[in-house]
Amino acid sequence: MPQGDYIELHRKRHGYRPDFFERKRKKEARQVHEHSAKAQKALGIKGKMIAKKNYAEKALMKKTLAMHEESSTRRKVDDEVQDGAIPAYLMDRENTTRAKVLSNTIKQKRKEKAGKWEVPIPKVRPVAEDEMFKVIRSGKRKTKQWKRMVTKCTFVGPGFTRKPPKYERFIRPSGLRFTKAHVTHPELKCTFNLDIIGVKKNPNGPMYTSLGVMTKGTIIEVNVSELGLVTPAGKVVWGKYAQVTNNPENDGCINAVLLV
Amino acid sequence: MVQYSFKKITVVPNGKDFIDIILSRTQRQTPTVVHKGYAISRLRQFYMRKVKYTQQNFHEKLTAIIDEFPRLDDIHPFYGDLLHVLYNKDHYKLALGQINTARNLISKIAKDYVKLLKYGDSLYRCKSLKVAALGRMCTVIKRIGPSLAYLEQIRQHMARLPSIDPNTRTILICGYPNVGKSSFMNKITRADVDVQPYAFTTKSLFVGHTDYKYLRYQVIDTPGILDRPFEDRNIIEMCSITALAHLRAAVLFFLDISGSCGYSIAQQAALFHSIKSLFMNKPLIIVCNKTDLQPLDRLSEEDMKLVMEMKAEAIKTVMGQGGEPSNEEGVLLTMSTLTQDGVIAVKNAACERLLNQRVELKMKSKKINDCLNRFHVAIPKPRDQKERPPCIPQAVLEAKAKQAAEQEKRKTEKDLEDENGGAGVYSSNLRKNYILANNEWKEDILPEILDGHNVYDFIDPDILLRLEELEREEGLRQAEEEDTEFEMDGNELSPEEQEALAAIRKKKSLLIQQHRIKKSTAESRPTVPRKFDKYREFTTERMGRQLSNMGLDPSMAINRVRSRSRGRKRERSFDRGDDGGEAMDMDVDRPNKMLRVRSRSLSMSRSRSRSRPPSEVVPGEGFKDSAQKVKAHKLAKKSVKKRNKDARRGEADRVIPTLKPKHLFSGKRSIGKTQRR
Repeated sequence: MPQGDYIELHRKRHGYRPDFFERKRKKEARQVHEHSAKAQKALGIKGKMIAKKNYAEKALMKKTLAMHEESSTRRKVDDEVQDGAIPAYLMDRENTTRAKVLSNTIKQKRKEKAGKWEVPIPKVRPVAEDEMFKVIRSGKRKTKQWKRMVTKCTFVGPGFTRKPPKYERFIRPSGLRFTKAHVTHPELKCTFNLDIIGVKKNPNGPMYTSLGVMTKGTIIEVNVSELGLVTPAGKVVWGKYAQVTNNPENDGCINAVLLV
Repeated sequence: MVQYSFKKITVVPNGKDFIDIILSRTQRQTPTVVHKGYAISRLRQFYMRKVKYTQQNFHEKLTAIIDEFPRLDDIHPFYGDLLHVLYNKDHYKLALGQINTARNLISKIAKDYVKLLKYGDSLYRCKSLKVAALGRMCTVIKRIGPSLAYLEQIRQHMARLPSIDPNTRTILICGYPNVGKSSFMNKITRADVDVQPYAFTTKSLFVGHTDYKYLRYQVIDTPGILDRPFEDRNIIEMCSITALAHLRAAVLFFLDISGSCGYSIAQQAALFHSIKSLFMNKPLIIVCNKTDLQPLDRLSEEDMKLVMEMKAEAIKTVMGQGGEPSNEEGVLLTMSTLTQDGVIAVKNAACERLLNQRVELKMKSKKINDCLNRFHVAIPKPRDQKERPPCIPQAVLEAKAKQAAEQEKRKTEKDLEDENGGAGVYSSNLRKNYILANNEWKEDILPEILDGHNVYDFIDPDILLRLEELEREEGLRQAEEEDTEFEMDGNELSPEEQEALAAIRKKKSLLIQQHRIKKSTAESRPTVPRKFDKYREFTTERMGRQLSNMGLDPSMAINRVRSRSRGRKRERSFDRGDDGGEAMDMDVDRPNKMLRVRSRSLSMSRSRSRSRPPSEVVPGEGFKDSAQKVKAHKLAKKSVKKRNKDARRGEADRVIPTLKPKHLFSGKRSIGKTQRR
């Protein structure tokens, strides 16, 4: 029950100003020019934001105009071709499809043997060791340089305990340890925040896999019990593989794509 | 202390604007320049600062929102219920809860990313982390966008709620729609509520204020209530129910006995009985409105019975307060807002009942002791049985009686005005009390311009007296003039003397004119003594010329004057004697009286003064020899020589007080020309 309707009340009782509608119309007409002047004069970040907004509006306007301009035209209609239909001169020939099928299975078998799987990101930029590790000097005179600190994001299991500091060679700082990943289901197109179970394979080398370092392209195993997936046999699936799709050390979070 | 006007809540920005505001503030208020080559700790610090600053700003603004919106449990139950009716308490709490969560989330994000930034080892990594942090914070805000919009709407709505003070004296007007509640409100207060013939014109509570016995009462007009089960009521009716339930007010239940509102008395009575539980502990008055259409006595039997039933209920409330049951008149009143008949009576009755109730309550409460001293009249214990009435002298009593009689007898202008049609119709004749010499002149019109003159310039109350005085003066002066003329005519002059007289007169008038000119320009002229005679007016040659023009020998006069101007210091002893002697030797004509008057001392009579050569040493000046005097003269001349500034810089030429003012050499480079900084 807002009582700010005194304007309407006044209008009801006394009506509008004699020139009210004309002024309103002219003011609105002027807005266009004022907006344009502002957009032209604005510099810096503000100017960029205004330009972006204007561009979006322009694109939308163009689309709507194009839609309205669609007219019913007559177009040539192609007769639909059935699958597997061949022209007359190709009939009664043996086709080579069977061979293709064959080679596919052979290829898959070979891949399985080699251990290469189909992943969303097949190739990954190699990460050099000096990028991966930072040399930590130790010792009384800081001359010993055998310790290394990992500079990328890592995963350590829940039962992880550090080695005695004197003997640990690879330091994994707790600030860079992650336990959760944002996993996207490629078909459902939605993202879940799932626990990481372990690091399966790091494309940069087995050492990194054993350390639990997660870089772009690493295959990790995540806990998908949240999704409620069930095998045909009736068992509940609770772990699946996912591939990391971003650089976690630059973004502060692990984004991965589920491998279905 | 929660104020019951919710107008001071700051505007809640919507999601996009919120993000824009905070991000642009971060961009403006934190350093913006950073290079790859800086030390890593500096880079880290740079980006950490941005993340923290953004988080702080978000935190501040969200905290402000959460604090300023009222908590429904902390405010007066009337407002709590009203807000619940209007906005749904749960929804409101949820929205605020979301804001709170967002605030916590943002804090957590900032903490995490600041921790991560410590491990950043390159500019690119730190920058990406900062971008990620800010982006996540903004996503949180985007997600609560709908809540922000909702809260903004609520805020606007709340700011326009009428400011009802739940604790002060209140009169509540309720009844069916269209019975005349808003008209009554317009009559007793200055509230300008819309009054229309259709039902539910008033859609919300309106407040007006009225005075009674030097106290301010707030009058609340409610929307009409229909007789429906409680659950079916809509928001508008719920507003009035809330007001009835929570405010300790005097309730005026309006009854339309003419039935022109569209509802019969039976329906209105039914409504009364269904909400009578809300009237507990409140002074209730049943007001029968629209008596101009249907007076109360001419109601039908059943209607009268219903009305009496209601009255009985109302009386019960009076009894319930411990008031006297004899006070029946204040319970059922009639009035008509159209003819304004009984409106004031209703208001007074309501105010009176409310005041009594409140006073009683206050007397019973514990706080009474604080105010008891303010209205307790202490009466001394009587010492003996003797009567001591106040002593008023007889004269005073008589005067009072006379004055009273006079007051009654005298007819005032206001009475005249009322008789003759009121303020706009009758204008009193102010001229009838004029005091004039002749009574017939009272209605005359005075002319304003006569012969081109303003008559009012010549009007004066004492004009006759003045006229007499003037005439007397004129008479005296004329007599004087005649006397002086008589004297003049007696003395015959010879023609030479007459010529001389004419010349003297002419000269005199010339002098007078000159003197007048000098006087008029005296302010702008410097007063320089005569010895600094720039224009050489007072030289002996001039005097000599003038004297010879007269036909006299000037040499003696010149000598005398010269000797006087020279030897003042030496011949002081001869002053008095010489003066007397010289006086006799003066010529008849005394054109230069001034010279004579001014110079008092006389010099040695025969010596003449001449201009000396500049190097001649005059004993008494203090110079050793003429070379020294010449040098002194030269020095004096040099010191007043004007400097040749040769177009060099002077005082008025531009000077830069500070070569590097701070405001031009600090701060960020904002948008502007880069040619010259």
